[in-house]
Amino acid sequence: MSKAGSGRRTNRTLAIVGAVMLTLFGLLAVFGSAIAPYDAGERAGRPFLEPSRDHLLGTDDVGHDILSELIGGARVSLLIGVTAAAISVVVGGLVGVSSGYRRGAVDAVLMRAVDFALVVPTIPLLIVVATYLERGMRSQILVVAVVLWAQPARIVRSQVLSLRERTHVLAARTYGARGPYLVRRHVVPAVTPLLIAEFVRVVSIAILFEVALSFIGLGDPVRRSWGSMIQFATDRGAFLTGAWKWWILPPGLCIAVVVCSFAFVGLGLEERVDRRLGRSATT
Amino acid sequence: MADVPAGRRRHRVLRRLAVRVPQYVLIVLVAASANFALPRLMPGEPVELLLGEMANRLPAETVAQELADVGLDQPLLVQYGRYMAGLARGDLGYSFRHRRPVSTLVAERLPWTILLVGTALLISTILGVALAAFAVWRRGRRRDTASIALFTFLESTPPFWIGLLLLIWFAANLKVLPLYGTVSVDATTGLARVGDILLHLVLPAATLVLTSVGAVFLLARASLLGVVREDYVLVARAKGLRERSVAFRHALPAASLPIATSVLLRVGALAGGAVIVERVFSYRGIGTLMLEASFGRDFPLLQGGVFVLTLVVVGVNLVGDLLYPRLDPRVRR
Repeated sequence: MSKAGSGRRTNRTLAIVGAVMLTLFGLLAVFGSAIAPYDAGERAGRPFLEPSRDHLLGTDDVGHDILSELIGGARVSLLIGVTAAAISVVVGGLVGVSSGYRRGAVDAVLMRAVDFALVVPTIPLLIVVATYLERGMRSQILVVAVVLWAQPARIVRSQVLSLRERTHVLAARTYGARGPYLVRRHVVPAVTPLLIAEFVRVVSIAILFEVALSFIGLGDPVRRSWGSMIQFATDRGAFLTGAWKWWILPPGLCIAVVVCSFAFVGLGLEERVDRRLGRSATT
Repeated sequence: MADVPAGRRRHRVLRRLAVRVPQYVLIVLVAASANFALPRLMPGEPVELLLGEMANRLPAETVAQELADVGLDQPLLVQYGRYMAGLARGDLGYSFRHRRPVSTLVAERLPWTILLVGTALLISTILGVALAAFAVWRRGRRRDTASIALFTFLESTPPFWIGLLLLIWFAANLKVLPLYGTVSVDATTGLARVGDILLHLVLPAATLVLTSVGAVFLLARASLLGVVREDYVLVARAKGLRERSVAFRHALPAASLPIATSVLLRVGALAGGAVIVERVFSYRGIGTLMLEASFGRDFPLLQGGVFVLTLVVVGVNLVGDLLYPRLDPRVRR
């Protein structure tokens, strides 16, 4: 029953699928303005046009080309997701390393902060912080990072704690190795693969948070993301007409595919990390 | 279970309580303090931040009276003391927009959110665990890849989008389920009312189940696979038991601990999802209340709502922590 290679191959297949999809969306995000048939911010036709050869996904309530908006949304969602995740992972990594390495009072205080951030319901917290801040891309990134740094911190901390007791680290310490050297030589290499896997996992959560914020109207009022596209479509009653098929369906599908691709890549990475750290993977 | 004397078992539970309860109390205190600090630290007019935007349109003496109650003219420490004492009495402040105390407003809406989240939690757990047990019982590479891909995809879809699609199909097009709300306007009584409430619950709950069953499935599957390699499962199989009873009778109970813990820990995430889903269906729970408060810049109401939601989630986490040793004999020893 235990087919040892089966899980690994499953994860690798999914990881490759994910990586290919992410490359496609990455290209779309970078070269979007060159690929898009129209300028997403300009009126390209009459409002509420149905899909046609000129407008493959029709136009919205003011005559913007929906396909061009969709392509532009890739850049917004990916940029916010990736930046917020990078900040969370860097902050979480620093907290985790200092907590696990220094222990004592530092550890106690930092870990209570982690407990807090892990227990408090995230989306309500997002709403509160977003209400106080000025709407915009920067505060959106900040808000998402505020709620996502804790998980990486906890994972890194437990890795550092177990690292302290490993023989090669103990040996290095008996030879007189001290703080900065130990961190650079032993902690960073052991923690980096974990952080990369965490980064990929956090990006997908960050994107989901960003679209949720945009959907409830707390997003960037200027840049149209996939979340705010769905919000606008809903507010203009797209679900009572047939317009939802080209106005609500595509952005949601894009979100799901991108988030899912990150999760697939994360599965593959996680398993490699597990094998490298000598843990047995269970999937 | 039998080899641990009852007295010592009680002792352990007490010790666990002594460690955990202060930690959770600390979390609640920090949440309350953050609520106190936020409106006082944020840039903006303090009167507006403390009383909500409506305060600008109120008569000056009402505002002065309310500010004296909050104690804005007092030193910060006194304000903090008053605030905490108020919280302890259940006083969450006053919403000028609704002209009612925040605690009353929250108390009206909270039961609906608990109904929604509770239903979704129950169904997604049973469904996710059963599907996982089935997947482990009938393993195979193609099937594994397909099920992992499917459930990861479900977990990746934004709940509000799934909600909108369900709304479009079942409420707008097929017209078999209500379009919005928690109960019909022409409120009936008795059994008809219960039916009406359940009918309104179907779509929001289904949305939450669809988007959270993936997480339960993946977790239950991983912990089942961990158990499947244990010796006693091998013994069970060697005894000649059928694969189905090995999976459901032997592996599932042993794997239930991480599943149970994670189910309770998921309450926070589900409550968050519920906030968004409630908006899609105009479900009159605490989520729509908070979003209305956010748009009306009704800060006391917004903060009161988050604080109560935090209390509920922390409470459920504490229960999960205390149940943990009861479910897993290995932890108890």
